[in-house]
Amino acid sequence: MNTLRLAWRLLKRDWYVGELKILVLALIIAVASITSIGIFTQRIDLAMHDQTGRFLGADLMLNSPRPVDKQILDKADSLQLQISKSLLFSTVVVANNEYQLAQVKAVDDHYPLLGKIEYTRQLYGDTIESANGPPAGKAWLTQRLLKRLQLKAGEPFELGDSELLVGGILKHDPGQAGSFMPIAPRMLMHYSDVGRTGIIQPGSRITYQYLFSGKLADRERFARWLKSRLNPTDRLIGGKQGSPALNTALDRAEQYLALASMLSVMLAGIAIAMAANRYGQRHFDQTALLRCMGATQSRLVKLYSLQLVMVGTVASVLGCLLGYAAQQGLVLVMVELLPDNLPHPGYAPFITGFLSGLLTLSGFSLPAILRLKSVPPLRVLRRDSMPLPISAVFVYGLALLSITGLMWWQSGNLSLTLIVLLGTLACVLILTVLSTIMIALSRYLLGYLQGPWRTGLMQVIRYRRANQLQILALGLALMILLTVLLLRIDLLDRWQSQLPAHAPNHFVINIQANEVKPLADYFQGQGITTEGLYPMVRARISAINDVPVLEAVPAGARIDEALKRELNISWASSLQKNNKLLDGQWWTQADSGKYLISVEWGLADRLNLKLGDTLSFQSADKQFKARIRSFRKVQWDSFQPNFYIIFPPATINEYPHSYISSFYLSSEMKDIINELIREFPGLTVIEIDAIMQQVKVILDQVTLAVEYVMLFVLIAGLVVLLASLQSSMDERIHTAIIMRTLGAKRAFLRKGQLAEFTLLGLFSGLLAIAGTEIITYGLYSRVFKLGFELHMPFWILGPATGIVLILLTGWLYTRRVIMQPPARILDN
Amino acid sequence: MTPDLILSARKLCKHVPSLDGSSRQMIHILNGVELEIKSGETIAILGKSGSGKSTLLGLLAGLDLPTDGDVYFDNIRLNALDEDGRAELRLDKVGFVFQSFQLLPNLTALENVMLPLELKSDANAQAHARALLQRVELGNRLQHFPRQLSGGEQQRVAIARAFVARPAIVFADEPTGNLDTTTSAHIIELLFEVNREQQTTLVMVTHDENLASLCQRRLLLEDGIIREASP
Repeated sequence: MNTLRLAWRLLKRDWYVGELKILVLALIIAVASITSIGIFTQRIDLAMHDQTGRFLGADLMLNSPRPVDKQILDKADSLQLQISKSLLFSTVVVANNEYQLAQVKAVDDHYPLLGKIEYTRQLYGDTIESANGPPAGKAWLTQRLLKRLQLKAGEPFELGDSELLVGGILKHDPGQAGSFMPIAPRMLMHYSDVGRTGIIQPGSRITYQYLFSGKLADRERFARWLKSRLNPTDRLIGGKQGSPALNTALDRAEQYLALASMLSVMLAGIAIAMAANRYGQRHFDQTALLRCMGATQSRLVKLYSLQLVMVGTVASVLGCLLGYAAQQGLVLVMVELLPDNLPHPGYAPFITGFLSGLLTLSGFSLPAILRLKSVPPLRVLRRDSMPLPISAVFVYGLALLSITGLMWWQSGNLSLTLIVLLGTLACVLILTVLSTIMIALSRYLLGYLQGPWRTGLMQVIRYRRANQLQILALGLALMILLTVLLLRIDLLDRWQSQLPAHAPNHFVINIQANEVKPLADYFQGQGITTEGLYPMVRARISAINDVPVLEAVPAGARIDEALKRELNISWASSLQKNNKLLDGQWWTQADSGKYLISVEWGLADRLNLKLGDTLSFQSADKQFKARIRSFRKVQWDSFQPNFYIIFPPATINEYPHSYISSFYLSSEMKDIINELIREFPGLTVIEIDAIMQQVKVILDQVTLAVEYVMLFVLIAGLVVLLASLQSSMDERIHTAIIMRTLGAKRAFLRKGQLAEFTLLGLFSGLLAIAGTEIITYGLYSRVFKLGFELHMPFWILGPATGIVLILLTGWLYTRRVIMQPPARILDN
Repeated sequence: MTPDLILSARKLCKHVPSLDGSSRQMIHILNGVELEIKSGETIAILGKSGSGKSTLLGLLAGLDLPTDGDVYFDNIRLNALDEDGRAELRLDKVGFVFQSFQLLPNLTALENVMLPLELKSDANAQAHARALLQRVELGNRLQHFPRQLSGGEQQRVAIARAFVARPAIVFADEPTGNLDTTTSAHIIELLFEVNREQQTTLVMVTHDENLASLCQRRLLLEDGIIREASP
């Protein structure tokens, strides 16, 4: 208890001496950075889950080709999960002597468990949101189906043995998970009507769909329980088991954001280590006295550890609060990308931030504090008695261990952590070499400089170790900021400007075979040049050389997007323009009807395919095989319809297919799209330029978010500046007093200091922009395949930012140095 | 050992490497010091600058270990204790007054004096410290920080701190070394008064003959050995 009181009292008084404030400030920045990203990602996770729920119409979806065991439903019931049952099947709907294949979903009274169904009572009527599906005896049909059957709302149609009424026009069904481009139009009906249609017969191809919703803990328990009981043909979607691809992408973005925030923790850690070191050194005398009075080593360790915990607690709590506020800012920055009403965060990010604070503090300050216990009591009599130096392995090892641990904890991914860590270390190494050269070369300038500039440069050289750290810390932060800023401003513009003029900016899909001719005529009539109309069959690659595909491909390719979904495959007699044959042969007329394929080279490479390999495909309930005849290089950004797999003519045309085309439309001709849809209501038009605009917004906002996180890094860099200034403060004051005693005017000292900070800022900025150019050169030439030019405005922006930041911070912090009265030379 | 002996040194030697750091060139600061101090005695150790007075004080107080020989404190052989063991002994039985006061700059006068009691977990630390500060005529300076006090006042705080835990022995290292003559006289008067009141053993290192003359015994450290100084 007494040690606690003593620790508190000594700490309270120590507060007025600079380094504790710096230590606390650094820790606040580190914790705020971690907490803000933590809260932000958690809120997005919660929102994403919410969206997944709306996307599925439930929290969990179980699809099975047969009714599931009763015990599964009993288990869900016992866990108080809500349950809804649906049936999915394809069947022919008849009306007005028109026959149309439709995808039917029969839903019970509980459907959907989450989200709302949108429908209209009349064609083009007001949209109605409904918490349930259609009542018994009625069905909601999509506009496309309605048109094909020439039906109107309220009219009857035949479904199997029964007759149903059109109750509404289906606009949006929350449970329409999966299919982006369904071949057949869709319809929603009541579960209880299925029996009397007589459609469900033994052997019918039906999907039994079960939806579950409930509390997170309950459904996770249920999902865990269920997983081991599923048949291979059953599919559980939702929760952590089958999150959509978007979630995976967002997860990865979150990981990177969390790791980026770690950079501020690293810099803050350096500032903490410097401040703790000075704190330790300043406490040699106090410690010697306490030892002299009889304090044991363990008691001193306890005393200083308690102080550490107190400082850590206060700073971490403040950091958490600041992190919460900063996270609101981040939400504002990314407002257009985020769903409305982001859910509130739980306690977890705060606890993580708090514990991270304590871990950072102990990882970076413990060596300096532990050194105190070895201060010899004899120091009270002989001031040259010093404690044993601490092993460098221990100091750097502990710091590295704690930062690696933190990064691993934050990202949940060890290999990513190590990559980022090693990447940062490599960056630091390069920047260290550059800054060493810079400082070494600056010596040669000394002969050419006079007055304050000479004094300033001499100061830079005199404190070169601390200054180098400073140049590095700020240079690194500025470098990342400049890189991100440059990519945001430069990249998309350059990419867009490199696209050929009049590149297609619209895709049109879901064109039926009977619409091909009228559509081509329509385009011709309107004077629109298309990239041609291409047939498209949806099929999944199921096997390679008769080995199931997941076993046949290399381990790294098992998560390939192309294996997760159905591919659009096509047939063609000649090679498309912008396609280039890399290997093998294109087919001749004689090959028509043969099951040969040409495969896109990138896919072939990823899946390790060879010429002559046989691929098996699954399209709906049909299977077919084909041998690889050639590999093609495809220019994906040509915006013409491109395909991974192409067959010769007269092969897969027997499978359900639709057509795709693309064309260029200037902005003043946009009205044609409406006309086109009125004329061909079944078509779907995708506006690429709108998507590009969306991509730009996403890129803008994501880079803004990264820049936002980098602000923490920048602030942490400035705290390193404060810590390094603090460590040289006594010497600076001493020098200033001597200079003043010798007759230097305050103005002279002030100018000298300003010159020193200007030079430091200049060096940081130059280092930053040099690093930025190296990184962008690498990215442009290797990743984006764009030409590289130096970014001259950034050569001014970088150093100017460095100078302003260091000048302001440094000057504010060291003002008092020149205010010292020369009479202090007489003090002890 | 005689029952009322509180401190004794047997063949105490302290050798340190020369400033150039070579172990072959050793400086022999103490060369077999023999010393016995009885409980309640006041002793002055005299010697020129650099004669090893402070080194001897450090060894006697258990702040440092001898190269050779032994120090017995209350029948306990200090060499046999580790640094923490010696720290506990100091906590129980030793007080210090230093030439440069050695007050903690961030603590008030009162808090500085409370420090030894707080290390001993004394529940009445504040009351005791307050009483002793009043005794050294600093009752009106309790909340002042060292920098707000004069040299004499700081040394009075240090005296209060040395005696507050009622130690068996107080070591004083040139207690008036940093003070002017008038202030020194007052400080010495106070030191001896408090020492008398508490019947503490006082071991004082000084080069001031006048100050030494106030002690019951005066020892002279010369050429690394100690002998009774002539009156």
